[in-house]
Amino acid sequence: MSNWKHLSVSGGIIVLLILVPLIFTRTDILTFFFLTLLYITLSQSWNILGGYTGQINLGHAAFFGAGALAARYIWLHFGLPLPLAILGGGLAATIFAMIIGFPAFRLRGIYFVIGTLVLAEILRLVFYTILPRADVMPMRLLGAYSLIPRYYLSLLIALLTVAAVYWISRSRLGLGLMSIREDEDAAEASGVDTQRYKLLAFAISTFLTGLAGGIYAYYSAAFRAGGLFEPVWTFDAVIIVFVGGVGTILGPVIGSVFFVLLKQFLSLYLPGGIHVAVFGVLFIIVVLFLPGGLVELITRFRKRTSGGSIQIDS
Amino acid sequence: MTFGLVAQTFVNGINIGAMYGLIAVGLSLTFGVMKILNVAHGEFLMVGGYMAFWLFTLFDIDPLLGLPLIGIALFLLGAICYKLLFSGLARFHEETKVKNTLLVSFGLFLIFPQVARWLWTGDERAITPVYSGESFPILGVRCGYVPLAGLLVAVVVILALHLLLTKTYFGKSIRATTENWKSAKLMGINVDRTYLITFALGAALAGLAGVLVGMTQSVAPDMGMQWTLKALIVLVLAGIGSIGGAFFAGLILGVVEAVSANLPYIGPYTVALGLVIFLLILMLRPQGLFGKEG
Amino acid sequence: MLEVNNIDVYHGDLQALWDVSLKVEEGELVSLIGANGAGKTTAVETISGLHTPASGTVIFNGVRLDKEPTHKVVELGVCLIPEEKGIFPGMSVLENLELGAFTSESRKARGETFEAVYRLFPVLEERKKQVAGTLSGGEQQMLAIGRALMAKPKLLMCDEPSLGLAPLIVKSIFEVIKQINKSGVGILLVEQNVRAALGLAQRAYIIENGRVSGHGDAKSLLDDEKVRDAYLGTG
Repeated sequence: MSNWKHLSVSGGIIVLLILVPLIFTRTDILTFFFLTLLYITLSQSWNILGGYTGQINLGHAAFFGAGALAARYIWLHFGLPLPLAILGGGLAATIFAMIIGFPAFRLRGIYFVIGTLVLAEILRLVFYTILPRADVMPMRLLGAYSLIPRYYLSLLIALLTVAAVYWISRSRLGLGLMSIREDEDAAEASGVDTQRYKLLAFAISTFLTGLAGGIYAYYSAAFRAGGLFEPVWTFDAVIIVFVGGVGTILGPVIGSVFFVLLKQFLSLYLPGGIHVAVFGVLFIIVVLFLPGGLVELITRFRKRTSGGSIQIDS
Repeated sequence: MTFGLVAQTFVNGINIGAMYGLIAVGLSLTFGVMKILNVAHGEFLMVGGYMAFWLFTLFDIDPLLGLPLIGIALFLLGAICYKLLFSGLARFHEETKVKNTLLVSFGLFLIFPQVARWLWTGDERAITPVYSGESFPILGVRCGYVPLAGLLVAVVVILALHLLLTKTYFGKSIRATTENWKSAKLMGINVDRTYLITFALGAALAGLAGVLVGMTQSVAPDMGMQWTLKALIVLVLAGIGSIGGAFFAGLILGVVEAVSANLPYIGPYTVALGLVIFLLILMLRPQGLFGKEG
Repeated sequence: MLEVNNIDVYHGDLQALWDVSLKVEEGELVSLIGANGAGKTTAVETISGLHTPASGTVIFNGVRLDKEPTHKVVELGVCLIPEEKGIFPGMSVLENLELGAFTSESRKARGETFEAVYRLFPVLEERKKQVAGTLSGGEQQMLAIGRALMAKPKLLMCDEPSLGLAPLIVKSIFEVIKQINKSGVGILLVEQNVRAALGLAQRAYIIENGRVSGHGDAKSLLDDEKVRDAYLGTG
């Protein structure tokens, strides 16, 4: 696909997304779009560390939760303006990440995986205990609640995240990250400051996750603090990235749309939660047989239909 | 605290700790022998618990008598999971194998609770034979029959496993595979079969622990992860490869938790405390956590 | 007894062996020599079934080995003592030897083989309760050889048995290998120590960059100019 065509397709999609609230007024449809965009941010930000750098972070929820909690407090309890609050959420997540980043990256491979999982679990348990009561939006805000600003904010941050990953994938930084994914020792030996690169990827990843948390804090009418750290926030992101296509830009986007659609669809016919099992099966299939996920499937299909002349730029 | 309370806490801790030991030993086997960190290990415990619940409510089979049945059922379930999902990954390069098997077990971890919810609903279930509430006093401490039976079962199973690994040719082949799989092959050991049986054995051990958990506490579809984490904490404390070590570390964790739950301020954070210990040890020994060499 | 016919072997995408053929006759001591990384280890590991050749065949006493898993190859009587010895460091000397007799046939006869191995290496009997990882390098090599003998092999392949050992110990290890060969076991000896290997063997194959570049009588190879230049220094 030529650059020009690429640009116009992306532009068209963005224009359509901007028009969504004008076309659809039904709350459930708008919620669907909102959630899809939130998941794009959540999974795409995970993709930076998990996909491009090869560091499977099972503690993503810790940074989502930190961002959401910080944003909620800044916005509702300290009464500062919303943009500041969401930015604050992103920063809180990054600061937290930088504090734990140094010891965390001493862990390699599966030790990093379980270490991060346990970290989020500790936060979940602690926050359920110290903040046991639900944080409910005050009545004056609930009365004026509208999905439309939340939708646009979610769109903005999803676009920002996708753009950030696009930039990373074409930069020296991205090259360094991918060299760490392929072989960390070799990267180190060839002069990549792996610790610094990993920390940088971690900082960007958690900042964007924190922003997603901030949006959730703005969106959710009521939550319990511990719930923000539930592993499901991590797991959904991981499944979406793998099923969509790990280490690609399109993967998390396609994965998120597919995930939210399938979730809605299955909830019509099957008991709640069964979509997780279906995605678990898809996840295993991807790990065993289709390491490139849906993106690879689409590429293969297009290659076959067009005799191999078109390549999806991912 | 009075003597009675201290002693009671200690007894409760040991009872729970026995189950921690049992679940950890299974995880230790699968990780030690084939470097599979099975994050779905706790799911086998959950399935074992529900099977005991089924046997008890549908067929009126006492859970303790049902233990062998559940052991066999979980052994088969483990064998099927291994054959279908993990065996193909065994031939990969070490690092890829470790990562991909972890991911596959993560997929299993997503599937099992949902299937359980669908089969048994989300309600907590407990297995309550007639003798479940009864207890007898020793030195002013109440010892429940069920926890005591659980402790006995755990001790017997661990001893049997220890004998299997040290006295039989098959057990030695498992240990040999753990130490050097290539050499094990060159001895004429069918390493693929050893992997299969070890994985199945780990699942069976988790299933047995599940029966005990169902009798002393309760079972719920989402319980698996919590037990996997407990097993991980125990493994970090004990190191891989020592069956006895894992069992004793399990007892210690049980007692520490029981004591900490009774302390002011710390009490509500008991579960988190174990995880913090886990992280600290992980940080201090980042590479060679499980076993002597990384 | 052993016939390797034109095998090509790959490690992933990299080809390690090209069209390698070699033979070991009943009771023969054949050496496989060549520089580090030439493909000697890959060759013996392929015979053992640790790698599957992309083409070519491996035949042992009329049975094709190249499609069989390693444990079947061992059952048929072909044993490999791997480079770096491959003992089980956390298990006792006795347990290591027991595992050597893992195949059902050798397990039945293990009473006698134990005696034979202890006669060959009395030190192993003295240390049978000791954890194998605490043995000295030479003792570990003895254990590796003893363990392989426990399987009652018809063909024994030794991959660099002299690696990392003091010269005096190397001499005695080679003496033992000669003795084992005299008792009727065919031996395929992989060595970088070319002079010693050629002194011991009846025939030898030279492997260079994954190809057999020459073979012949050990004595005539020792006198060959090219071999002398490449492997024996100026001596």
